[in-house]
Amino acid sequence: MTDSRDPRKTLGEALVEAAEKNKKIVAISADSSSGSGLTPFHKRFPERHIEFGIMEQGVMGFSAGLATTGKIPFVVAIAPFVTARPFEMFRNDLGYMRQNVKVVGRCAGITYSDLGATHQSLDDIAIIRTIPGVTVLNPGDPVDIVKAVHASAAHVGPVYIKLGSPKMPVLMDENYPFQIGKGAVMEKGNDITIIGTGTLLSKAAEATRILKEKGINARLINLHTIKPLDRELVLKAAAETGKIVTVEEGYLAGGMGSCIAEFLATEHPVPMKMIGIDDLFCDTGPYEELLAMYGLQGEQIADTVEKFLG
Amino acid sequence: MQKLNHQDQIALEKIAVQNRKNVLRLMKASRMGHIGGALSAIDIITALYFKIMRVDPQNPVWPQRDRFVLSAGHKCLALYATLAEKGFFSHEILDTYGALCSKLGGHPDMYKVPGVETNTGALGHGLSIAGGMAMGHKMDGLDAKVYVVMGDGELAEGSNWEAAAAASHHKLDNLLVFVDRNHLQISGPTVDVMSYEPLDKRWQAFGWSVREIDGHDMKQIVENATDIPFEKDKPSVIIADTVKSKGLSFAENKVDYHYWKATDEDLKIAEQELNKIEEGIS
Repeated sequence: MTDSRDPRKTLGEALVEAAEKNKKIVAISADSSSGSGLTPFHKRFPERHIEFGIMEQGVMGFSAGLATTGKIPFVVAIAPFVTARPFEMFRNDLGYMRQNVKVVGRCAGITYSDLGATHQSLDDIAIIRTIPGVTVLNPGDPVDIVKAVHASAAHVGPVYIKLGSPKMPVLMDENYPFQIGKGAVMEKGNDITIIGTGTLLSKAAEATRILKEKGINARLINLHTIKPLDRELVLKAAAETGKIVTVEEGYLAGGMGSCIAEFLATEHPVPMKMIGIDDLFCDTGPYEELLAMYGLQGEQIADTVEKFLG
Repeated sequence: MQKLNHQDQIALEKIAVQNRKNVLRLMKASRMGHIGGALSAIDIITALYFKIMRVDPQNPVWPQRDRFVLSAGHKCLALYATLAEKGFFSHEILDTYGALCSKLGGHPDMYKVPGVETNTGALGHGLSIAGGMAMGHKMDGLDAKVYVVMGDGELAEGSNWEAAAAASHHKLDNLLVFVDRNHLQISGPTVDVMSYEPLDKRWQAFGWSVREIDGHDMKQIVENATDIPFEKDKPSVIIADTVKSKGLSFAENKVDYHYWKATDEDLKIAEQELNKIEEGIS
C-alpha cells in the first residue's frame, strides 16, 4: 500500500522542525491557520505565530517589514489569496525589496475542487515567476515538502511554495539530495521525457509506469523548482530524448511547461506537449473526477503521450 | 513630551529652509519632480531626522536605529534633501537626480540610497511594511520606533486600512504615522476626489490615538512626535495640516505643482523666495 501524507500537516510539522533550529522563523497566517497546518507551530511557538485575519495584502507588507528586522516569515494561506490577490505587494514588498519571506500557497491548483474558480489557483506559477529574484517551488510529494521547507529557510530571499490539499503519495526517497534549482530524474529512459511537478507528479509517474508496460521508456523528471529553471537537466533531456511532455496542475499560459518551452525554443527546440489547464475557469466537483474531466489522470496522460509519439 | 526651546526651533527652521534649497538643487538637475508633496512634508521629515529619530548617518543599518518609511514615495525629493543634509550621502549626489541610473530616482530605492528603508512609490504599501518593522522591534525587545509619512490622497488605498487595523490589533505603540494633509491630489481637492473625512474619527475607529497639528510648526511637530505613544498599547497618528508646495508662494495650494516642470526662471524665483524666508527666521 502506498504511503500517502497530508501536505498541510507535513508542512506544519516541517515548519516546527525548521523553527526549532532557526529562531528567526515566524509563522504568519491570514485566518484559517489550522487549515494551513500551523496548529503544531502555534502550540510549540505561540509567540512566534502571528495571526492577521483575512488580510492578504497586509500580511505581505507586514512580513516584509518583519524581514527587515531579521525575521524569516513563513506566510501560509490559501494559494490565490497570497498570489493573485496581493500580487503587487508580493512584487514590490518581497521581490523589489528582496525580503527574506517565504510564501506558501496551499490548496493550489484545482485541489479546492469543490469551492470553484475563486479558490482554485492555476495562475500562481505564471504570475509569481515574473517577479525578479523570487524562487518558485512546487514540491511533488511529502518528502519534497519537508525538504522545500528546510531549503527555503536556508535560502536567503523570497520564495513561493505551491502546495495542494489532498494526501500525496510518497514518491521520493527520504534521503535524496534536494537542491533548489535542481530537478530529479525519477525514471531513466530515452524514448521521451515527461516532466512533472507538484500535485500532478504522481499522475506523471503513473503515466510513466503505464507507458513502460507498453514498451515505451519515458524519462521522468520531478521538477520541484520551477524558478530558477534547471536548464542543464532540461537541455540534456531534450538532447537525449528529443521530445518533451510537461505535466502540471496549472495554466499552460506561463506555467512550468511554458518556462521550459521559452528556454528550449531558443536553446534546443524539440517537439513539446504541454499538459495542464488551457485558458478556462475550472468547474467544481470531486477532485479526482475533476482531474479526469481535464485529462489529468495517469492513464489519460499516458494516452496523450502515446498519441504525441505517434 | 520634549519641549522645543526657541533656539532649537530656529535651528530646525533654518535646516528646513536649507532642505528646501536642496530640493531646488534636485529640481535643477532634472527640471522635473513631485515638488508639491515634497514641500508639504519637508518640515516633518526635517524634524524627524534632526530632532526626533535616533539614526547614525555613518552606519545607516545600525540595528537599534529608528526607522523612517516614506509611504508616499513620490515625496522623495524631501527625503533625498534631508538625508544629504544629515550626512547620509554627499550633496553632489543631489545633482545626479534624473540622470541615467542615478542613485536618486523618481521614487526611493533602499539599495541605492543610504538611509532609505523601503522601496515605496506604489501607494498604500508603507504602513504595513512599517507595521512589520514595529512588530519585529517589539519581538526583539528593542525600543526603536518607526515613523511613517503618508499622503492624504493615499488614504483612498484600502490596503492602508488593513494595516491600520493590524497595527492597533497588535498594539504597536512604537509606531507613529504622520498624515501629510495638504488637501490636494492630482485631480483636485482630496475630499472631492475621494473623501476621507472625518479623518480623525476614522483613525480613532481603527484603534489609533490621534492628534492634529500644523505640519509646518516645528514646535508642534517635535513636541507631539516625542510624546509617543499618545496612549499605551495604541499606535499614534498625527494628522498634520500642511500646504502643498509650502515655501514657494507661486506654487502653494496649486494642483498644477503636484508634479513640476521647472524653467530656469522658475528656479531663480524659487531661490529668491527661499532666501527671503531664511532671512526672516529669528
